[in-house]
Amino acid sequence: MHIAVCIKQVPDVAAVRIDRERMTIVREGVQNIINPSDYQALSLALALRAGLGGTLTVLTMGPPQSEEALFEAIAAGADRGVLLTDPCFAGADTLATSHVLARAISRLEPLPSVVFCGNNTTDSDTGHVGPQVAEELGLPQVCGIFEVQPESLQTLLAKRVRDGYLETIRAACPVLFTVKGVSEPVLLPGLGSLQSAFSAGSIVRWGRNELDLTMDETGLTGSATRVWRLRAAPHRTKGEILTGQAHDLVKEILKRLEAMSLVEEEQIHG
Amino acid sequence: MDRGTCLVWVFGDYADYFQNRVTLQLIAKGKALASELGTRVGVVVLGEDIGQYVMEYVAHGADVIYAADNNALKDYDVELFTAVAASWVEIFRPEIFLAGATAFGRELFPRIAKRLRTGLSADCVALEIDRETGAFVQTTPAFGGDLLADVVTPVMRPQMATVHPGIFRELPHDPFALAELIHPPLPNLPERKIEVVRRRKEKARRASLTDAGVVIVGGKGVGSRANFDKLFQLAELLGGEVGATRPAVNAGWAGEERLLGQTGKSVRPRLLITIGTSGALQYTAGIRGSETVIAVNRDHSAPIFGLADLGIVGDADRILSLLIEELNRRL
Repeated sequence: MHIAVCIKQVPDVAAVRIDRERMTIVREGVQNIINPSDYQALSLALALRAGLGGTLTVLTMGPPQSEEALFEAIAAGADRGVLLTDPCFAGADTLATSHVLARAISRLEPLPSVVFCGNNTTDSDTGHVGPQVAEELGLPQVCGIFEVQPESLQTLLAKRVRDGYLETIRAACPVLFTVKGVSEPVLLPGLGSLQSAFSAGSIVRWGRNELDLTMDETGLTGSATRVWRLRAAPHRTKGEILTGQAHDLVKEILKRLEAMSLVEEEQIHG
Repeated sequence: MDRGTCLVWVFGDYADYFQNRVTLQLIAKGKALASELGTRVGVVVLGEDIGQYVMEYVAHGADVIYAADNNALKDYDVELFTAVAASWVEIFRPEIFLAGATAFGRELFPRIAKRLRTGLSADCVALEIDRETGAFVQTTPAFGGDLLADVVTPVMRPQMATVHPGIFRELPHDPFALAELIHPPLPNLPERKIEVVRRRKEKARRASLTDAGVVIVGGKGVGSRANFDKLFQLAELLGGEVGATRPAVNAGWAGEERLLGQTGKSVRPRLLITIGTSGALQYTAGIRGSETVIAVNRDHSAPIFGLADLGIVGDADRILSLLIEELNRRL
């Protein structure tokens, strides 16, 4: 079985700060990481491959340094990486991003039976890319799974939580899954090694020419949306803000709870 | 009745109808946008035995209903619904197409947008027509929610957006409202490739967070796992549930199932006490439906105070401990 996983390198949002004066993102000293739900997708893909055997290909679109994410994935056990990088890919919205990813997946040999994506990224957080890759490849999609197991040679059983229900879903291959909510994603150790990550030929680089894409199909020109402007989220003041001694502050909280009949009023003694 | 154009569409997501009011909220907002554009608002309703939902949507302001009542559409299916909705868009050419950012809406709309080669913005918190340019401006939280991005789709149509539940207010139920009902032709329907083999209610404790009357939320400012555990005591004393922000979940203080916000659950309790949370939009998107918000934070300039009914500037652990002590004494 050939499994493909789409991952993205993102700044560690927990460490990103916003310069509200200049409306820019302060990235200095911020580490790049594999997007958390992509990391979870990779962990499910590795576990599935461990059970079924086969090849695991990891793809990422981004600037040249995104190669780091592929090294990390190969060190964890992926067989090869595809770096989709080209200056004209920059500024892509999800429509243009999914086009490049889908085109690259369609060029893999053999065609993957299962494609994994993270459910959403921490930087732009649309959750669109998985379904849009599935659409372009004509694959069915199952979004938001946290577990997947083979059922037969051609079918998989996946689990997800949706609207308060735990769903078990049967999907026939080929299929695309998006992954979220894996409580403890682990990249199985010992399958890969840093040595294999850095060995020749484990990573290929494809740009616009290799993928036979026109300028109009990629990057900003291939995007349907434009970010018109960025602005700071408004700070509005709604209620009262109190400072003071902790005892007095807690009394104020209790007053609110009393007003809502959540606690009984204090009996006045003596 | 007026049989003018109907260029603002809403996807009729009726799953969990009595809890999930986002379709009704979007009909109201869609109607306001339509009146600015000199057109009407329509709702796309796909399924089997959908009469009750059609009636509800009409009573809540829909001018036009585009309906397919068909056994093949009985259960939600992304590929089937994409095929129908996209083919209807090609027939009627709406300018705007909205859906609630529900689990299904967020899975369906990217696929429809891709098929139509048009733009889609995600989980919007505001929608408006710019008076100067006439552009349909879709506002979406960006970069972890500290910034808002105003997104436009300049050329392609329709301009599509998923919208965060609880942002807009539904119109009151009008049992005498009338609407135009259209049954457009169905395209060739694809086969169902995805089958839900089992569906059961999640463990009570997990599911009840979204229905809880009192929710206590902890963030990074709670400081430690031991402190975070006190949130559970407080929740117990007030008959509530515990939620967590992304940093608290990442720190391992609470499970993913307690995550609130954009990538987690949305809650709308009577009372929400939020402790040690700075108030990034990524989180606050999930608590906007709360009736009363009490926020405790050490930093008086924390954005969370912007949406608190009562803001307490103080040490999270100290306040938490005293509050538990006091409640224990009284109960």
